[in-house]
Formats: sequence, structure tokens, C-alpha cells
Amino acid sequence: MQAENSFIRMESIVKIFPPSNVALDNVSVEIEEGKVHSFIGENGAGKSTLMKVLFGLEPATSGQIYIHGEKVNFHSPNDAVAKGIGMVHQEFMLIPSYTILENVILGYEDTNKIGLLDLNRSRKKLQALCDQMGFDVNLDEKVENYSVAIQQKVEIIKQLYREVNVLILDEPTAVLAPQEADELFKMVESLKAEGKTILFISHKLDEILQISDTVTVMRQGEHVWTKPNVGLTKTDLAEAMVGRSVLFTVEKTKIEHGEPVLELKNISLKSDKVAGRMLLDDVNLTVHEKEIVGVAGVEGNGQYELVQVVIGNQFPDEGTVSVLGSDISKDTIRSRRESISYISQDRKLAGSSQDDSIQDNAFMSHHYLNDSLVTKNKILDKGKIASFADELIKKYNVVCESRKAPIKSLSGGNQQKVIVGREFGLEHPLLVLDQPVRGLDVGSIEYIHSRIIEQRDAGAAVLLVSADLDELFSLSDRIIVMYKGKIVAERIPEDTTRNEIGGYMLGSIGDSQ
Amino acid sequence: MNLFVEILRSSLASAIPVLLVALGGAYSFHANVFNIAMEGMMLTSAFTAVAISYATGSWVWGLVGGIAGSLVITLIFSFFILKLKTGEFITGIALNLFTTGATTYLLRQIFNVKGALISPKIVPLPRIDIPLIKDIPVLGTILSGQNILVYISLIIVVPLVFYQIYRSRMGLRLRATGFDSRAVDSVGIKSDPIKFQSLLICGLLCGLGGTALSLGYMSLFTENMAAGRGWIALAIIILTQGQPIGILLLSILFGVFEGVGLSLQNVGIPSQFTAMLPYISTIVALFIFSRQQKKKKSLAADL
Repeated sequence: MQAENSFIRMESIVKIFPPSNVALDNVSVEIEEGKVHSFIGENGAGKSTLMKVLFGLEPATSGQIYIHGEKVNFHSPNDAVAKGIGMVHQEFMLIPSYTILENVILGYEDTNKIGLLDLNRSRKKLQALCDQMGFDVNLDEKVENYSVAIQQKVEIIKQLYREVNVLILDEPTAVLAPQEADELFKMVESLKAEGKTILFISHKLDEILQISDTVTVMRQGEHVWTKPNVGLTKTDLAEAMVGRSVLFTVEKTKIEHGEPVLELKNISLKSDKVAGRMLLDDVNLTVHEKEIVGVAGVEGNGQYELVQVVIGNQFPDEGTVSVLGSDISKDTIRSRRESISYISQDRKLAGSSQDDSIQDNAFMSHHYLNDSLVTKNKILDKGKIASFADELIKKYNVVCESRKAPIKSLSGGNQQKVIVGREFGLEHPLLVLDQPVRGLDVGSIEYIHSRIIEQRDAGAAVLLVSADLDELFSLSDRIIVMYKGKIVAERIPEDTTRNEIGGYMLGSIGDSQ
Repeated sequence: MNLFVEILRSSLASAIPVLLVALGGAYSFHANVFNIAMEGMMLTSAFTAVAISYATGSWVWGLVGGIAGSLVITLIFSFFILKLKTGEFITGIALNLFTTGATTYLLRQIFNVKGALISPKIVPLPRIDIPLIKDIPVLGTILSGQNILVYISLIIVVPLVFYQIYRSRMGLRLRATGFDSRAVDSVGIKSDPIKFQSLLICGLLCGLGGTALSLGYMSLFTENMAAGRGWIALAIIILTQGQPIGILLLSILFGVFEGVGLSLQNVGIPSQFTAMLPYISTIVALFIFSRQQKKKKSLAADL
């Protein structure tokens, strides 16, 4: 091995999750001090696992880590922090009802002689740090009163307070609007200027090219290559990630939309947690036949509730929901299922029964909507159900051992294909898709996107909620933006920009319409 | 007048066992451990305190025995829920049923009595006369001459619990564990030891509570002596969201109702009914509390 003096060297790291899931296959990487080093790859490529090994969260099955040539053995995040390595997780590790100060000092508290907290001493130190970083917040305000972007900065400050000099950021932009991401990048730049090393995990190609000094690509647990970010292009990265050439845009032809299918009139929904807050505030929306309406918004601005109101999981305080002209406002979920297909944002919570087989998951709902699967006496027809499941598996290229395998044994992408197959197979006039490709690999995303277009072309009305602007721009015929429960903008993708949509998402542009 | 003073005096003594147990439960409440085994911890310590006091003739050893009895149950509870990851509710119920049976069995086996063990050999906690205050009419009768745990609880335990939960490093970590133990783990503090620590403190305070019941408020042991006080403590914790000062006030309220109940027996109301009074008042308190919460919400929503 070269360069004894390299900063961090991970050598021949192997990580096997029992029984035989190889997450990291002999990965060796060197990290230079004071640089932004990105790790890119699809979900399941091993980039997060590699970082967890470095951070001491997951023990490696074999392999070594050297810092400044000295071999280290991390058994817990504490060991990593002691060596100056900090990590900001994708899911924030903050206590919402604690103040910023309390969150930052947790586990690192100053105490006085009799063992009580010395908040004043901690506050002084933290204030100095925030001033230095140009981070202007009230340290005694509860974290829950701040936006996701601020919370993320609190997480970063929390690491800096522990005097780390290596900061691992796990998909930090996944939860941010474009402008907020730019703010984050500025912070990353200033950290770098202070000599900190940033390890940046992402699967967004543009931002990788924008901020990295060095890029490491991973695929299926293997290290593909590490190169300095000089002259790299999106195509280089994508091909290395997927192992073949990829299309960046879905092929979509423009078609005229038809009659209205979903009509929302004056929908309002009050929060039952925070008094006086409106989750949905006078929402009016129509989705037509042969039309995909994309819903943009920073998480928590009413998109989720909008979907719940349409599928009948929540009843609005005011307003009506109609499908094909008939008012379904009072209908149950069960009866709405006669006309609405739905893909939930978290298939583990809703949309699949994880312990049940692929077959059982495939024909749920079909068992009462599709008479050919039951006998005259309303008994399930096993033979027909089996061939129904086999057909779905074949049609949607589900990679599995057999239809009898539990759905949780499949990869995320294949699970989602089963659900998509079931929902699209209902041939309903309205599809409600809440982040249908979240967490899937590029291959599965391409596939599901093309199926969504196919459904639209066949006449379906599609309501698509997504946190990914690229997805909304490539699929939608019309994009609406939600902010604080209101629809604040409505645009045709060709006539707008990501920045404009981002501005509406953050509420920094008001709409005059 | 005399009756009224007498009620208040006994209220204070009867409030202390519930107060101590509820303060203990506040720790597990903040650690987000649903500890319903407090009833069993209290009952066990009430028994071991009396048994050890009887055997040694010393209230100090009785107190130690009471704490030890409660800690044994605490260790079993902790082992099951933290190590074996069993359900808190099921484990708690099982321990409560077990301790009811075990204390009754041991009472009959060791002391050869059914129902209650009353004996001059049981040395109760000492009563302390407070100089100056004892000479004040009414107030002196109520406050002075109570057992030692009354004073320890009010003067030392309540402030100590308050400062530990809200002002100390341990408290910050404890409450964080209750909100989200992953967040605590992520900053390198292990949440399970914190939960264990909170359960040990809870066990200690339940031990004091049980002892305050059988060697303080009374000087005897009867079968199923805790009589739901552990559950009342749980209700108080939920009502006050684990705040020590609120726990103090509600515990005294419970004591007053128990005192009123006892004295109503003297005017010919059957004791079974009067004994219900503190429990009925707890249910009423829960009802009023939940109504007010709702009202607050809808009021704020209308603004």
C-alpha cells in the first residue's frame, strides 16, 4: 500500500449481514484530509454501510481502518467521535421538545461542582461556535419550532461542538429544497476552508459534481472507482453507478387530457396536534383523464394529508372530494378502493403486509374487486390466484424465488413492483401515488416511471406526490406546489424552472394568482 | 375541630407512601418505561420491612429490608424488560400477581397468621417531635410527631428528585431517552443503562414507600397491603406528567381523601364504601384532567 501518511485509509473492508448478504465486498478507499469526498451509488450499493463501518455503528466482518497510518478499532460511535469523526444521519437524531442548546450538549454536558448542569457555560461555548459559523438562531428555542433545514444545521453544529474534524453527511439534501441545499453547500465550503474533511453521501449526480473534490462510486457492495472531480460528467457517474448506460429522461409524449376525474373543492383540514394550524387550507384541485399532476412541497406542508383525504384515511373538516362527478366525501376507504389505486410513501406501514407472501400481497383488493379470483360461493380460488400472481411476477419482472416467498425477502425495488403491479392491475380511473419510487434503485425507478406514463396514456388520472423535483419535472403534465397546506403555485413543467418551484416550496415567492 | 385536625394529620402520613412510589415512578415515566410493577415493588417492601423489623427488632434494618425487597422485584423486572425485551405490561402484571401470592404465602408460612400480622415485636419508624412547631396548636398536631420518612420525603426526597430530573446531567439524558432512545444512542450514550438506572432509583423509592406504609403509616402487615396504591401512584404520574411538585400535591390530596374515608366510618357508612373514596377521587381526577386537556385544545383551535 502506498502513502503511509494518507489521512484515512479503509482497507479490504468486508461486511456480511447474516446469513449471506454481502453489503461490502473488499472495499478499499483512501480519504485525503481537508477535502470534500463524495460517495455515490444506488440504494444498496453499500455507501451508507461503508460510512457506518467508519463511524463505528456497524462492525466490519473483516478489514482494517487506519487514521494517519495508525490502525483503529471502532466499537461504537463514541470511539469514532474520540478520533474526531462525526456523522449526521439521514434521519435526524434530535429531541424535538429540547432546545437547540440542550440537543447540542446532550452527552457532552458541562456541570458545576455539585453535578447540576451548567447551561451558561455551555451556552457561551455554543454561541461562540454559532457566531463563527454565521449560524443565527435562538439557542433556547425548541428544535421543533425550526425548519428541517435549520434542524440539519443543528445536527452539524452538534458534531462541531464535539470538535470533530471529519464530518459524514448521509444524503443531507434528501430533505431539502434546492435553495436550502445551496445554503448547506455554502456551509460545507466554509467547513472545508477551516480544514475539515467532509464525507458526502448522495445519489444526486448534479450536487456531487458541484461540491466534491474526490468522488468514489460504489455498486452492489463493490468499489467501482475513486477519481478526482476533474472533467467528470453526469454520464460518467451514472454509468459507473448502474453498470450500463442510462436514460435521464422518461420518454413521454404530450397528449391532450380528457374529462375531470378527481375534483377537490375547498378542502380544509385542521391539525389536531397544533391548535390553529391548518394542514390543508382551502385546497381546490382537479386531475383529468390522461393527466399526471405532480405535487411538490417540502415535507410536512400538506402533501401527505392531501393524499389521506383523497384515499379516505382522513376526512376533511370542510370541502368535497369527487371522483368522476360523484361525491365520495363521506365514503369509506373500502368503497373508494372501487375507483382509486394507491401507492403509499412507506410500503412497510401501508400497502403491503410484510410477513405475507408475494402472492397474498399481489391479490389483496383483487379478491373483492376481481370476481374471477373467487368461486361462486365467494371462496378464494387458489388455482386462479396462483396464476394471477405468477402473471404479475412475469409482467412486472419481479425478481423472486417463487410467489410463495414472503414479500419482505425481496429488495425494495421488487417489493414496489409487486405493489405497483397490484394497484395498476386494478385498472382504476384514478391513481394516487405518494412517492412511488422513494428509496428505489435507478433501474426500478426507470421501470416504474415508464409504467406510470403507460397508465396515463391508457386513460388514468394520476396524482403524484414527490420530494424529488427531477421526478416531478420528468413525469408531470402539471405541477402544483404546496406550502403550509395551501396550493401556492400551479405550473406547466416546460414553462418553469426548478428554482422557481423551489422558491414556492420555501414560501420565499408569494403567488399573485 | 379535633376530628378535622386528626384527618389532616393522618392524611399526611398516608400520603407519603404514595408520594414516594410516585416519585420513583416519575423516573421510569421519564425514561419511557411503563412501570406497572410498582404495586408489586411496594407490596414486597411492605412485607420485607415488617418481617425484618420483627426479626431484628430494629427499624433501621426494617428500612434496609424494605428497600432490598423492592430492589429484588426491580431487578427481575429490569432483567425481563431490558435484557429479554419482554412486554412491560405483561411483565408488570405477572410480577404484581406473583408478589400478592408470594407475600401472602410467606406471611402464612413464616408467621403462621392469616390476614394480618400485628405484633409488638414489629418496631415502627421513629416519630419525631419538632421543637417549636409542636407547640403551635393545630399546625403542631398535624406536622409534628410524624414518622421520620415523612420529613425525609418532604424535605430531602422531593427537591432532590426535582433537581435530578430537571437540572442534572442524568435528568437531561433520562428525559431524552424517554423521548427517543435512538437519539441518545447516536450521541454515544447507551440508553439501556439509563433505563436501568431509572428503574433502580424507582425501586429504591418504592422500597421507601412500602416501608413508609407498613412501618410508618401503620405498624403491621396485612395481605395485599398496597391495596392499589401503586396504581394510584401511576395515575398520579400520568396526571402530572411526572412532575415532582404536582406529584406532591396530588399525593396529599389522595391522603386527604383516604383520611376522610376513614373518619366517615365513624358516622356509620360501611367501611367498604369509605375505602372506595380515594380511588373514586382518582378516577374523577383523571376524567376532569382529560376533559380539560380537550377543552384547552379546542379553545386554542378556535382562536
